[in-house]
Amino acid sequence: MSEIEFEEQLRSIANGMKYPPTPDIAGFVMPRLHTATRARFNSKALAWSLTIVLVLLSSLMLIPSARAAIIDFFQIGVVRIFPPQPTPTLAAPTQEAPATTTPRTATPQPTSDLLSLLKKISGKTTLAGAQQVANYSILLPTYPADLGEPDYVFVQNLDGAVTILVWMNPENPDTVLMSLHFVPSKSWAITKMGPRVIQETQVNGHKGIWAEGPYPLRLYGSSDIEVTRLINGHVLIWADGEITYRLETDLSLEEAVKIAESLAPIP
Amino acid sequence: MDEPTLIRLATNGDATAWEPLVLAHQQAVFRLAYLLLGDPDEAEDVAQETFLRAWRALKGFDSTRPLRPWLLSIAANLSRNRYRSAGRYIAALTRAFRNEPAALNIEETSTQNMDANQLWKAVQNLNISDQQIVYLRFFLELSVTETAEVLQVAEGTVKSRLSRALEKLRAIIQHEFPVLIEGREA
Repeated sequence: MSEIEFEEQLRSIANGMKYPPTPDIAGFVMPRLHTATRARFNSKALAWSLTIVLVLLSSLMLIPSARAAIIDFFQIGVVRIFPPQPTPTLAAPTQEAPATTTPRTATPQPTSDLLSLLKKISGKTTLAGAQQVANYSILLPTYPADLGEPDYVFVQNLDGAVTILVWMNPENPDTVLMSLHFVPSKSWAITKMGPRVIQETQVNGHKGIWAEGPYPLRLYGSSDIEVTRLINGHVLIWADGEITYRLETDLSLEEAVKIAESLAPIP
Repeated sequence: MDEPTLIRLATNGDATAWEPLVLAHQQAVFRLAYLLLGDPDEAEDVAQETFLRAWRALKGFDSTRPLRPWLLSIAANLSRNRYRSAGRYIAALTRAFRNEPAALNIEETSTQNMDANQLWKAVQNLNISDQQIVYLRFFLELSVTETAEVLQVAEGTVKSRLSRALEKLRAIIQHEFPVLIEGREA
């Protein structure tokens, strides 16, 4: 087969390639053009910039008229949350969803691909292995009492050892019950763009943010890596010292706070 | 309205002019990212980011030039970064909570078009630069001129790089995917 014939053969075969349907890229992009020009921040500069921002905010927040104009994002640890534009939806504390005693999955539809996907993810380890790598205490929820240890533990060095614990739903092993992320302060910077509901809360006296999806989650690494992902579940974010915690689930806020406040060192 | 006019309007901040341009090129951008990353979710991420970045960078773009190669160039760079980055891990894990199918089932699609998928697998044995040029020329059917625009190299460089990539690909096919050329050899 000559070179030209080989090329024609390749072109003919490639022409039969079946692609997944093209998603609605325009539908995602167009509402976000106004935020696309917003200055990026990176994790390396985050500590300094955050300090400056917090000093400025804490001063300006004393002026009521300045408050509404300034809060175009919320920041907890390495997580920055941008409310929906142009009118942020701030849920009143009395609007909390009713507490549930039976945890529900973030996304109830099971998929046979999930387990194989989790098995393919690198960084899989054990709790003991994760604790050896992480230079912070890995904590486990003691509520609900029958939760047990996570089904999956991952640690990846993303400019810092990020630990992710995953609990599968015992009633439906193909679905994730919840996940708990430990993000060190020098690790990734995370942005949520326009979650449906944002509510301030407290976790053991630390300020927390409760965000309800769906919303795009954007992660920034120090090497100009960006990841955008649509999240359907809700998330409770709080920081304690150098660690930012993300509890991802679709439980109610009240349940999520109970779980967060029950964290204790590995027995 | 023609493309240069839409680009000029978009450059001046007219977001409504950007939408038809996204619609016109989103398929090519998505497909290139899909070929390079092999995952529709990741390809979607890259395609979204491509159009957001392009919008931010429009002021530096020469509106007399075709838009598609420039967009494909951005998408290719983002894909290459993603290809070797730890971000793939986060993307994969986060996807788990959406609980949606991770990717098109390769075996299933192979029954639909075994040859094309075999060829894709063969190309995946090349390094990422060689994959890129093969995808642009043979899967997306760009001309040498357009490919040169995407890769930001001279047309002669495209030809020489493509020739070397095809030489490697031919050896891979003969060794690992002979079915693609069996019975077709002269």
